[in-house]
Amino acid sequence: MEKRTIVAVLVFAIVAVFFFFSVFMVHPFGKPGQVNMDDHIIANTQNETGTNNAVTSVVFDYRGFDTLGEATILFAAVAGVLMIFRRVKQ
Amino acid sequence: MGVEFFIANILVLILTVVASLVAMLLRDLLAAAVAMAAMSLLLSLEFFILQAPDVAIAEAGVGACLSTAIVIIAINGTKRMEDE
Amino acid sequence: MSGMSKIVKTAVNILFPLTMIFGLYVIAHGHLTPGGGFQGGAIVASGCAMIVVAYGSKWVFKQIKEKRLSSFESIGAVGFIAVALLGLVFSTVFFGNFLAGSSLLFGTIPATGSTGADFNTGGVLPLMNFAVGVKVIAGLFVIVLVMAYASSVKEWDT
Repeated sequence: MEKRTIVAVLVFAIVAVFFFFSVFMVHPFGKPGQVNMDDHIIANTQNETGTNNAVTSVVFDYRGFDTLGEATILFAAVAGVLMIFRRVKQ
Repeated sequence: MGVEFFIANILVLILTVVASLVAMLLRDLLAAAVAMAAMSLLLSLEFFILQAPDVAIAEAGVGACLSTAIVIIAINGTKRMEDE
Repeated sequence: MSGMSKIVKTAVNILFPLTMIFGLYVIAHGHLTPGGGFQGGAIVASGCAMIVVAYGSKWVFKQIKEKRLSSFESIGAVGFIAVALLGLVFSTVFFGNFLAGSSLLFGTIPATGSTGADFNTGGVLPLMNFAVGVKVIAGLFVIVLVMAYASSVKEWDT
C-alpha cells in the first residue's frame, strides 16, 4: 500500500471519529443548551433596541459584527467576479 | 407541533430528496437546473414549516431564482446535453 | 444571451413591478415583519435577473453599466459602516443603537409585549436595513449581469 493511501485513510478515520462524536453529543431538537442569552434578548429587546422584530434586532444590533462579515463576503464576491470578467484591451 | 405539521414536514422532506435525485440523474442539464430550483423552493417551504420565515425568504430569493439564473447562463455558454 | 420570445417579455413586464414592490416592502419594513435588507435585496435582484433573462444582457447593458452598479454596492457598504461608526461616536460602542429612545427619527420605543406595528420605531435598524438592501441589490445584480454579458460575447470590446 502506498504511503499516500495510508495517510488519506488515517485522516479520513480521524475526521469520521470526530463527526460521530459530534452527532451523538448534539443536544435534542428544540431544546437549547444555554438559555440565559435567549431569555435576556426575548425580555429586553423592545426596551433596548425599540424594535418589535426580535430577529432583526439580533441580526443588526446584538450581533452586528456577523452582518458586517456577511457584507464583507458579498463585497469580496462582487470584486472577484468583476475581476475575472473584466474588460481586456486587445 | 400537531400531527398535521408532522405529516407536512415528512412529505416536504421526501419531495425535497426526490427533486434532488431527479436533478442528479437527468441528462438534460436545463431540466436538471429546473429540478434544482424546485428542490430549493421545497426547502424554503420546509423552513417556513419550521417557523423560520427570514431564512425561507432568503432561500426562495437566492436559491430558487438567482442560482438558477446563474446555472442557466452557464449552460447557455456551454452545451445543453450531458455527454455519455 | 439575446432576448427571448414575446410571451416571456409580456409576462416579465407584468411580474417585474410586483416583484419590485414586494422586495422594497420587505426592505422598508425590515424592523416590523420577517425579512430585512438581505432578503429584500435578494428579491429585488431576482426581479432584475428576470429582466436580464427575458430581454437579453446586451439590452440591459445599454441601460446601465457595471461600474455604476459596483459604485452603488460600495456606497451601501460605506453607509453601513458609517452608521456603525456613528454609534461609536454618539453612543458607547461600535454598532451602538444611538437613535432608540431619542426624539429623533425612528426613536419611539414600543410598549413591552405584543403590540401593534409602529413604523417610527427601531433606532438605527431601518437605516442599516436600507444600506444593506442597496448593497445586496447592486451586488447580486452585477454578478448576474456581468456573467450573462461575458458568456454572450466572445471578446469584450474595449
